[in-house]
Amino acid sequence: MAPDASPSIAVSARLSVARIGKRQILHEIDLQLAAGRWSAVVGPNGAGKSTLLRVLAGLLSCDGRVLLLGRPLADWPGRERARCLAWLGQQEGGGEDLRAWDVAMLGRLPHRAWLAPPTAEDQAVVAQALRAAQAWELRERRLAELSGGERQRVLLARLLAVQARVLLMDEPLAHLDPPHQADWLATVRALVAAGATVVSVLHELNMALQADDIVVVRAGRIAHHGAATDAATHQALQAAFDGRIAIRQVGDDWVALPRAGAREAA
Amino acid sequence: MAWRRVLLALLLAAATAAQAYEITDDTGQAQHFDAPPARIVSLLPSLTETVCALGACERVVGRDRYSNWPAAVRARPEVGGGLDPNVEAVVALKPDAVLLGTSSRASVRLRALGLKVLALEPHTRADLGRVTRVLAELLQLPRADADALLARIDAGVAAAAESLPPDARGQSVYYEVMPTPHAAGRGSFIDELIQALGLVNIIPAALGPFPKINPELVVRADPDLIMISLQGAADLARRPGWARLRALREGHVCEFDAAQRDILVRPGPRMPEAARLMADCAAHRLTPEK
Amino acid sequence: MSSALVAPVVNAPASAGMRVAWLAALLLALALLGLALGASVGSTGFDSLLRARHDPAAWQIVWDIRLPRTLGAWLAGALLGLAGAVAQGLFRNPLADPFLLGSASGAALAVALVFAVLGAGGMVGGGASSAALAQLASPVLARLGFTGAAFVGALAGVLLALVLAHGVQQTLRLLLAGVIVGYVLGAVRDLVQLANPDVLVAMQGFTLGVTGFVGWGACALMAAVLAPLVLAAWAMARVLDALALGEATAHSLGLPLAPLRALLIGVLALATGAAVAQTGLIGFVGLVAPHLARSLARCTHGPLLLLATLVGGLLLMAADIAARVLIAPQELPVGVLTAVLGGFYLLWLMHRRTQPDAGT
Repeated sequence: MAPDASPSIAVSARLSVARIGKRQILHEIDLQLAAGRWSAVVGPNGAGKSTLLRVLAGLLSCDGRVLLLGRPLADWPGRERARCLAWLGQQEGGGEDLRAWDVAMLGRLPHRAWLAPPTAEDQAVVAQALRAAQAWELRERRLAELSGGERQRVLLARLLAVQARVLLMDEPLAHLDPPHQADWLATVRALVAAGATVVSVLHELNMALQADDIVVVRAGRIAHHGAATDAATHQALQAAFDGRIAIRQVGDDWVALPRAGAREAA
Repeated sequence: MAWRRVLLALLLAAATAAQAYEITDDTGQAQHFDAPPARIVSLLPSLTETVCALGACERVVGRDRYSNWPAAVRARPEVGGGLDPNVEAVVALKPDAVLLGTSSRASVRLRALGLKVLALEPHTRADLGRVTRVLAELLQLPRADADALLARIDAGVAAAAESLPPDARGQSVYYEVMPTPHAAGRGSFIDELIQALGLVNIIPAALGPFPKINPELVVRADPDLIMISLQGAADLARRPGWARLRALREGHVCEFDAAQRDILVRPGPRMPEAARLMADCAAHRLTPEK
Repeated sequence: MSSALVAPVVNAPASAGMRVAWLAALLLALALLGLALGASVGSTGFDSLLRARHDPAAWQIVWDIRLPRTLGAWLAGALLGLAGAVAQGLFRNPLADPFLLGSASGAALAVALVFAVLGAGGMVGGGASSAALAQLASPVLARLGFTGAAFVGALAGVLLALVLAHGVQQTLRLLLAGVIVGYVLGAVRDLVQLANPDVLVAMQGFTLGVTGFVGWGACALMAAVLAPLVLAAWAMARVLDALALGEATAHSLGLPLAPLRALLIGVLALATGAAVAQTGLIGFVGLVAPHLARSLARCTHGPLLLLATLVGGLLLMAADIAARVLIAPQELPVGVLTAVLGGFYLLWLMHRRTQPDAGT
């Protein structure tokens, strides 16, 4: 990487406050997320991680500005923005009667002409997305019949079908067992290697530590933003969780271990 | 001799034209008739009764389910209610004229099917006079027939009024039409009967002909006589505050069964009977006996 | 994952399209059968049909009364089925129907108000103005006026429910608001009827549903409303699909939610208004038709709207025929029959759903 080629910014947000109803959730956010990297957003419960993601996706208005690929989000026409930026929310209910195939096909909406049926390209992309999310065998089944993990994989396929350059995921690993979590990890790494930008809110710190960058959110503010392998990041993480976790290296990876309380092993 | 034929033709044409006439109903719509209707479907009981009283009962080929007098009419086929008649059944009877009330939506549909529909609805004695004359004209009966009928009605009512003993006159009456409670107020047909008998209606004129009243009003007015249906009479004492009404304590309650109520609510040729029903009951209840 | 395309031969699941096409054809064929059946039953029975060629009255019965009535029942049912499918998709709730959202009570209130102003058939004692208005209003204008008023009333009812519920996010709140609006508007209608006994009398048949007064004019009006609404709803069906996963997802997929939702609500209101103005309040059809359609074919909202329309039409047509046949030569009010039919279906649906679904 040439020293003077600064990586371009995929998404940036600068805002003074973001509210839900009357409550102020986020304060004084100034965040730049580089393109072609995977950033994990972590923090304690109720810190405002999901809200931050919604603001970045343009789903929540704020007193400030959000830029997507250098342009203000508000200036993007709806479909163009949807082709470029895809969002997967937490605990998405509904769609019980739709088949998995149809749900995944919804991801192609930003690409499809208004009244046209799905093209061969749409079908190919959806098939690819379903395979990548290990949901291909589920394609004929209705969402109501699927387990939590299977449903989550279908929703992931929906996200992948958009073929967006920027992917925002909120708790994408919910209900997924470790093998499928590993599959997800591989998929994200492949996406980033191909040039996409991935931002994921994660509860699983061990998975977050696999990311390129970590954004630590605490009490509505960004406590730290840095590379996942940096010691400073690890310190910030431990501080954010009030010292209830310890970050240790295991082989090539870093893991976070929960700590019981005031007792500390020497 | 061609001119005689022409004259004959002209005379016949004139005669036919002279026979043709128009009837205007209560909504202002006019229907043209070339000859008096031979087949009539009547969808309002008071109209059925008036037509029969004018002597044209055999012309009634169909009736609504509520028309039940005189007995001859009960044999005629029933074509549904007055408001929701069975359109197909009415058309199947091939009527020359259809009589119904002014608030029925069926008139629009029946007219669209080409039937001659007359919407007439008598609410008061004055209406009854007008409607009777219109029906007489429809049937092409001499006006004297209508007038004679009306005169008989008035005489009958007057006789009923005479039959009321003098000390029953001037007493106050409360007539309950429905247990909600809806009362018969000023301007209603029942009120006219009450007034013809020389009794006083406790409902103030400002409330209109069929007001839904607050039961307190009755308690305050404390009528001398209460007129009500049989079913309504059963729970009168249970209404709060009503048990101490004079009328209830002294048994001054006129209870009318379904057949009697049919006579009382229809402004038609049975008005004298209605008046007599009321007068008999009032005389019986109001004058102290033994 | 590179953007290179996989070979075009994809083992995609059989599109629901063929099945839907066959179903639609079947439903249409059944409708035609129903039309023929409807032309042959009634108070005078089958021999009206037989005598139709010789007897002008019998011809009138078959052509001017039975046929438009049967067709009108199908059209009204189709409108209600469409409205129900749109409502259930828009509010993501399988219990949504034109009645639960206040649109039907709004339409009924508007019709009552029009009766009060124009006079049910013309009022004599009610003031010279109403009789004059009744005379001025030709049947076409009067029918347009009723439908237009019902549309406005239906729209007002739904908007009121939306305002009370602060939008559609919380479906429980929305349903509550709809029920409240239904009750309140119904109470206002009661007041109008009480104040004006002629209106009370005229509305009596209305609240039970009346197909008996539907003629060719009413059919033409309903057909003229149904065709563009079905097309419009079908064109906007993908909004309903996207909304199935939630508003945020639909927004992130780039759909202009606000104008499309407003249009869909307009479709809902106009369909309900048109049906209510011609045939009164007929419940259950809007609720049951989408469920029936879904149980026939699993598909996205585009085909589902079409199927729900066809099923709704068939349902009401069947109810109308049954209403005429069961106690011939008398008639049952059609609203009672739809409630019975719909009630039985919902009971069966409930029974099926309480059996636990395969593994979680």
